[in-house]
Amino acid sequence: MKHQHDHSHDRSFDDGPPSEYEILSRAIQELLEAKGVITAEHVRRRMEQFEADFPQRGAQVVAHAWVDADFKRRLLADGKRACAEYGIDLEADRLIALENTSRVHNVIVCTLCSCYPRALLGMPPTWYKSENYRRRVVREPRAVLREFGTVIPDDVEVRVHDSNADMRYVVVPMRPGGTKGWSEERLASIITRDSLVGVTVPKP
Amino acid sequence: MTLPSAYSDASARRFNVGDRVRVKHSFPPGHRRTPHYVRGKTGVIERVCGAFANPEELAYGFDGEPKRVLYRVRFRQRDLWRDYAGPQSDHLELEIYEHWLESA
Amino acid sequence: MGGEPAGPIDIVDHGMKFWEKQANALRNTLTSRKVVRLDELRRAAEDLGERYYELEYFERTTEALRRVLIEHGFFTEAELDAKVAEVRRRYDAA
Repeated sequence: MKHQHDHSHDRSFDDGPPSEYEILSRAIQELLEAKGVITAEHVRRRMEQFEADFPQRGAQVVAHAWVDADFKRRLLADGKRACAEYGIDLEADRLIALENTSRVHNVIVCTLCSCYPRALLGMPPTWYKSENYRRRVVREPRAVLREFGTVIPDDVEVRVHDSNADMRYVVVPMRPGGTKGWSEERLASIITRDSLVGVTVPKP
Repeated sequence: MTLPSAYSDASARRFNVGDRVRVKHSFPPGHRRTPHYVRGKTGVIERVCGAFANPEELAYGFDGEPKRVLYRVRFRQRDLWRDYAGPQSDHLELEIYEHWLESA
Repeated sequence: MGGEPAGPIDIVDHGMKFWEKQANALRNTLTSRKVVRLDELRRAAEDLGERYYELEYFERTTEALRRVLIEHGFFTEAELDAKVAEVRRRYDAA
């Protein structure tokens, strides 16, 4: 049967010959499209959201929390509702925002797989999904943080959050000094994805 | 305590914030969301997350009903790892389903 | 997994290849449209046993997806094998 699909959008050739799993993934998608379970457009739209929309959101929300104390309170009390109020639909993610303070530094992991607030932060980095991170950060978080160049003094609690069930987590880092009067946009530019997971802290 | 908007009602529940609980030291086969490193360990209820369909059932195509209450439990790192090198004040928090918890 | 001995962490984010982004979007489309449940995909990945550690992340998720979709009867192994062969021929011809 002659297939009707337009594959001119396949750029995977750029990455070299396709692996067995690339072919398998492609085949699964095409079969599901042929059976009317999903459309190519659904998948394409999702790719765009992951590429262009989701990765910006976390820093924007935290920058807004830094300038608006009431919003920050609401974010810490109910992450999903506060994001919705801010215009961000977290879809299925139930969000708990964790505030770093002078006494507590938070860091997030999913030891069981790679749960991550994707609708707020986009795709997790490869290190977050790695076995070494997942194995070690629950047991020796300070050593792991040092590998990222982050040293937390002993008088500050390091609190690890294993995202193992239905909640999703984001760290609200402390706003660093030297940022007085900055616009939200400028603040967002220093709120790195890694600081929202808790392995680094933002620097002005 | 008012539950956030995303959390479903858990008014019929066994534990409350501040309760000391022990995670069952059990190793049943199949899909579980309770990591091995907390099984048999004792911690404190940090919050009630609400009631959710049981993932242990959802994983096999069942509807996961009736919903089970999910809690966040806080553990001292020194209680989880015999050789924990960091300060006493370091903690770990994660989510545990009610049927995995006993009073401690 | 948590707490087991492990080596240094590669702290660089190596991002995703195009096919991985598409595989991720496919998986996400299917779970958000409730075609399959995330819990089923996780269980299928866990059931890979030793292969879990041999496969890369998106290879694992693709294999888990394959298993769950077949369980649900969206297609048979034979149908999928035929489609895989067709896709491979197309790539080879390009």
